[in-house]
Amino acid sequence: MNGSAVSRGAGLGQLDLETELREYAFGTALEKSDLVVIAVAFAGAVAAVAVVATGGVTSQTTAFSAVLVTNIAALALGGLVWRRARPSSAFGNLLLAEGALVLVSGLAGSPNSVLYLIGMLAVWAVALGATWLLLVFPGSRVTGAAWIVMAAALGTFLLGELPLIFMSSNVFGVSGITGCATACPANPALAVHAPAAAEVFRRVEGVLQATWGLGLVCFLTARFAWASRARRRLTFPVLVSAAPLVAVFTINAVVVDLAGVHPGSSGIEIFAGARIVYPLGFIAGLLFARAYAGEALAFMARKLVGRPSVAAVEQLVRRVLDDPQARLVFWLPRSGHFVDRHGTRAVLDPESAGLTWRAFGHGDAQVLAVVHDVALGEDPELVEAVGAASLLTLENRRLEHDLLDSVDALRASQRRLVGAASAERRKIERDLHDGVQQKLVALRIQLELVRDLARENGLGERLDGLATDFDDALDELRSTAHGIYPPLLADEGLEAALREVARRASVALTLDLEDVGRLSEDRETAIYYCCIEALQNVAKHAGEDAVASLRLWREPKAVRFSVRDDGVGFVPRPGTRGAGLTNMTDRIGAVGGTLAVRSDPGAGTTVSGGVAIDSDRSGDVVGV
Amino acid sequence: MSSASEVAGREAVYRLVVAEDAYLIREGIRSALEREEDEVEVLEYCPDLDSLLRAVEEHRPNVVITDIRMPPTNTDEGIRAATALRENHPEIGVVVISQYVSPHYALKLFEHGSAGRAYLLKEHVGHRIQLMEAIREVAAGGSVVDPKVVDVLVEARMRAKNSLLARLSTREREVLAGVATGASNAAIAESLFLTKRAVEKNINSLFAKLDLSDDKATSRRVRAALLFIADSDLEEKSDV
Repeated sequence: MNGSAVSRGAGLGQLDLETELREYAFGTALEKSDLVVIAVAFAGAVAAVAVVATGGVTSQTTAFSAVLVTNIAALALGGLVWRRARPSSAFGNLLLAEGALVLVSGLAGSPNSVLYLIGMLAVWAVALGATWLLLVFPGSRVTGAAWIVMAAALGTFLLGELPLIFMSSNVFGVSGITGCATACPANPALAVHAPAAAEVFRRVEGVLQATWGLGLVCFLTARFAWASRARRRLTFPVLVSAAPLVAVFTINAVVVDLAGVHPGSSGIEIFAGARIVYPLGFIAGLLFARAYAGEALAFMARKLVGRPSVAAVEQLVRRVLDDPQARLVFWLPRSGHFVDRHGTRAVLDPESAGLTWRAFGHGDAQVLAVVHDVALGEDPELVEAVGAASLLTLENRRLEHDLLDSVDALRASQRRLVGAASAERRKIERDLHDGVQQKLVALRIQLELVRDLARENGLGERLDGLATDFDDALDELRSTAHGIYPPLLADEGLEAALREVARRASVALTLDLEDVGRLSEDRETAIYYCCIEALQNVAKHAGEDAVASLRLWREPKAVRFSVRDDGVGFVPRPGTRGAGLTNMTDRIGAVGGTLAVRSDPGAGTTVSGGVAIDSDRSGDVVGV
Repeated sequence: MSSASEVAGREAVYRLVVAEDAYLIREGIRSALEREEDEVEVLEYCPDLDSLLRAVEEHRPNVVITDIRMPPTNTDEGIRAATALRENHPEIGVVVISQYVSPHYALKLFEHGSAGRAYLLKEHVGHRIQLMEAIREVAAGGSVVDPKVVDVLVEARMRAKNSLLARLSTREREVLAGVATGASNAAIAESLFLTKRAVEKNINSLFAKLDLSDDKATSRRVRAALLFIADSDLEEKSDV
């Protein structure tokens, strides 16, 4: 099978889905070639009946034409079904070709000796073709041991029958197809009448034909015995339906041709019946495979409810395909290759170790592939079912994965924004401190000097007022700059900055601050502001006598903090977070940290959180 | 026990090295000190830590006035200079001038001993009395903390309910704040319109209430008081 073919999975568009449903229910519209086949088969059958009816040679005209017509119909039907079900397989065309040969073999019923000869040669071709069909099913080419059987079959014709045509007047009667044992048309190819030589060839033919028949029995039996389960599902109906034909043929070869016993008319009827039945096996095999695939799909669907892991899906695929080597690989569109479920690159080499693969996806976009035993190539319906079920299950997972991806991306961009904002605040603080504040301080010094000088001139009082205003402005600027970005946090880190916060806190506070070293600026800022916000909440909500405790500590992979109070507490209700809490959560979330608030009425409130410090960004911990 | 007036009475001349990287502030300091030229002589103005340390070796001043944030790193060079000088030239007094009201730097300055160290806000450099008092104190081995730094702390602590400071009377709090700034008993008495005796009584009672030992050496007393106001409240309850 073509490993790179992308099978059509569940279409996303409604139109796609509709089309696929219609195709699934009614099959695709008949193609022109299919119509031609039907027309030819029909016309051929009519012609065959006509030929036989107009002065037929046989005593069993009706039976002959019935066999002929049903045989053509069965082969044409099989051909059409196969072409439809497995467009990539040549077997359907082989069935049609066989049908065409049967059509030609109808000439064997003609009283005209030339047409009769052509018809009889076609009968031989039909026999060889049937052998080919049985040998190659469900493929199209004869390989390996099958060649022995095919060689015996070809030898029977080329070394036995063909020479006989030139030296015997009555050559075809023995196969008993038309039953014209005594009243057959004359042989127009007869060149030399040599009964002795003919007897030799007849012997050769008998031996080869027996070999042919027995070889076919052995080959089909052996192949079935060694076949994979998938192949057995497909070939079992064929074996059953072809058994009468092969048996009759072989017995005929051994008993009639070799031992010279002439069959009774019942033998001919059995043979005719067997011919009608055997093409139906090819159709039944296909139906069996389809039915099994349907069952497998239903089985998988039952097993795949919930959110099975990729490993579980793969396990199920192995079970259903009955192939311990089967695995699922996933297409990475950006990298342009498949990976297995561990993310390891999967090299799909169709030649390797008897494995092949089939990709599934939407339209031309492949999503995943099922890698399986080559033998399963004979059961494409099953692989298709398994692949579609996996695709459907894992597609949801993929969407989920994509969603997580975008959440990650969102968080990263949030982190960048917060980081940029805090860097900007820090810069503004520096600018204020080194610029405006510096200048004001210098002016304040000068003002003091001027005030000293002015005292003597009575300007002192006015300048005193000015100095007070100046101090107020300076204080305001200082607290603004501090609020924008606390310089202690920038210079000395969390512990020093939080200690300073505690000194100025308006709540009674106990401290347990560990030296956690330096973290990245955004992490330090996030923790710092969360602590401040939490302390402000204590001051606002915990009540007059509440005592708070502020903790900061370092764990192997995280820096954690908690602000606990023994105040009045509250009943936390989902969805009623205040702006302060939302702010804290956002800030800490932006650096990948977490925040938890626990409170009970009368039992105080605890805000705790942490930020991981073992992240992929190196230089996170600047110094410990 | 050395009060400012006593030092002034000796007519000592203070030989100074000043370190400040900002031009405007440096000029401000220059004008302020020029006023005091009969008492103060500035040997060199330095723009960074290295030149300060070099100038100290060269001139051997008895007082250094230094900014905190200076090149090369613009973080705490002034504190580091003070620490280095305590090691190499313990006799040199250091006045650290800062734009930060935060007591963090004051406490850091006192970490290795408070003798001969002052923490003054830059905006008060123009204040003649404050500046000269700081210079005189550190030269004499005393300690000074800008009153504003103490005020901010006391104010914050008073806002906190349950604070130990709340156990003190208003008068005692005022006296404690005075002690924390490095003022002598006499100076506190003068600023609060009390007798020196009353100040001593207040100090005894508040130190008892707060379980602090009243150290006769002013510099250590300053540090204890400042530390108490800044941190003891917090640390004391940490095992609650």
